[in-house]
Amino acid sequence: MNPEMITTSELRKTYTLGGQTIHALDGVSLSVPEGQFVAVIGASGSGKSTLMNMLGGLDSPDSGSVEINGQDIARLGQRRLARFRNETLGFVFQSFQLMPRQTALANVALPLSYRRPKPTDAREKAAAVLGAVGLGDRIDNKPTQLSGGQQQRVAIARALVGDPKLLLADEPTGALDSQTSEDIMQLLVRLGREGLTIVLITHDLEVAEYAQRVITMRDGRIIEDRMNNARVAA
Amino acid sequence: MTLLRLAFGSLMERKLRSLLTMLGIIIGVGSVFAMLAIGNGAKARVLDNFDGLSARTVSLRPQWMGNRSSQARPYRRFNETDLRDLAALPDVEFVSGNLQREETVVAPGTDWTTSVVGSDAYYLRQRDMEMSDGRNLMPEDLEFGRTVTVIGTAASRRLFGQSYPVGQVVTVRKVPFEIVGMVAEKDGEIGWQGDVNDFILIPRTTARSRLFGNDWLVRNQIDNIQVVAKDQAAVAELQRNIDYLLRRSRGLSAADAPDFAARNFAGVQQRQAESTRIFTILLASMGTISLIVGGVGVMNIMLVSVTERTREIGLRMSIGARRGDILRQFLVEAVVLCGIGGLLGLALGYAASQFAERASMQRGEALLQTVTDVPTAALAFGSAVIIGVAFGYLPARRASKLNPVEALRHE
Repeated sequence: MNPEMITTSELRKTYTLGGQTIHALDGVSLSVPEGQFVAVIGASGSGKSTLMNMLGGLDSPDSGSVEINGQDIARLGQRRLARFRNETLGFVFQSFQLMPRQTALANVALPLSYRRPKPTDAREKAAAVLGAVGLGDRIDNKPTQLSGGQQQRVAIARALVGDPKLLLADEPTGALDSQTSEDIMQLLVRLGREGLTIVLITHDLEVAEYAQRVITMRDGRIIEDRMNNARVAA
Repeated sequence: MTLLRLAFGSLMERKLRSLLTMLGIIIGVGSVFAMLAIGNGAKARVLDNFDGLSARTVSLRPQWMGNRSSQARPYRRFNETDLRDLAALPDVEFVSGNLQREETVVAPGTDWTTSVVGSDAYYLRQRDMEMSDGRNLMPEDLEFGRTVTVIGTAASRRLFGQSYPVGQVVTVRKVPFEIVGMVAEKDGEIGWQGDVNDFILIPRTTARSRLFGNDWLVRNQIDNIQVVAKDQAAVAELQRNIDYLLRRSRGLSAADAPDFAARNFAGVQQRQAESTRIFTILLASMGTISLIVGGVGVMNIMLVSVTERTREIGLRMSIGARRGDILRQFLVEAVVLCGIGGLLGLALGYAASQFAERASMQRGEALLQTVTDVPTAALAFGSAVIIGVAFGYLPARRASKLNPVEALRHE
């Protein structure tokens, strides 16, 4: 068995929205071993996005702990947390979040500009990763000159350029048509097979089926946690 | 370096908006620079004249009394007695009394209308001039009313060309004068009186009796008197003494309006410097207000920019930007904005100060002199950068304090 990449225990988070208290996370305990491709599925408001924000250190829990790659990130200070996000995590968002006026290469190289010490081969590295996601011939294009699928590939390349231990993908296919979605999911599966730990947040069962393990959430709790046998075997 | 490029890129994306935002800074830096240039120019000029002979001189001339003709009394002229009394005052180095007219001076084969000065040996000293050839006027020349003259270089050139004037004879109103000396050329100052070297100097007594010819009206009359103090500190006291002396000799009480005017050139200078200072203060307040308004404009536009780019900020945080990185990014952007504005402002300020100098030209002399140098420019530019930091900080800080989760979700 691989060592655990993610361990959370009794994560709780409540929001007050319009006078109502909402339990976004209501005691989530979860562990994900290194190299596993996990899909977290649930309707909107089920707490899956909050969970991802916790895992990404973008949000902090009211109680409970989040340990990623051996670090308790709920106790990290701002600077250490930024460093953790830069070196350990890769984010992929539904809306790509690319810099519209910068080239694909510049977009991909962006995380390396926040790395200390600054790598000298950032452009070469970014070009190599773009090649690995199949956009080797598009490095000088701006996002507006790329299709949705290509944009998401750029975003994935940006997430991968810093050699992360964990990839967090929030509805990565939410803005794409089914054919393109399939391509993107195949790419993620390939990355998972190469040893990357992936947490995929989605509300789409079909997309979740690409993962090795599917966790279903509702009202801030995990209501189902099953292995996807078809994928585990594959 | 990367931050600078980033800031430039983001400003170039919104060229017109950046330019409009800069406008306040441009005007502000421009007027600060012009202010400093003009202020320094005025200061330099006051210092220039400060230790000169003119600063120690009190000029006396008659003054018409009263404004309405019914009350008007003619002024009294100065005379040789006044001159002797003034020379006897404490702290007086020397006095010089003059009569001066424009007359046509005739030399063999040519003539030239110039200033004929009836004065004494001290005339040249008072004007900071020296002899180059021959001799100056002597007390005996005045005593005996000799028909001798000392000639200025400009008048000499007109009358004698390149030939040596000393020993030649010129005629004024049919009276022949022997040229006994020539004055060394004094450069610069082609002022409101024309070329300072364009004159001939004759004994005051001779001028009175032979040329200007009304000595039967007021004997011993003198048009104006220059009193030169031993040092500048004594000028104020001397001016009071002169006032007292002349009032007494004319039977005027302290309450009466004087029929003479005593002016100190340093005082004139100081008044001029004062008015320049007021102009400078005006420019300074305009510059400061403009810089502040410009700064507020920069802050406003930076806040807009932060709001527009909330998602970008969220993304940058999610890929490992520290709060300090975000703060620096927006701060550098504000400073670059102000810095470019500052450079344009320097160009504007330079143009404006040059324009002011040229526009204030009066007969070859600029009333507003300007000094434009590197420290002045650095100071004006520095104020723009400081404005950038001061007014860029709040938006930058706001950007750095954004919650990444909400920032990413921002529409």
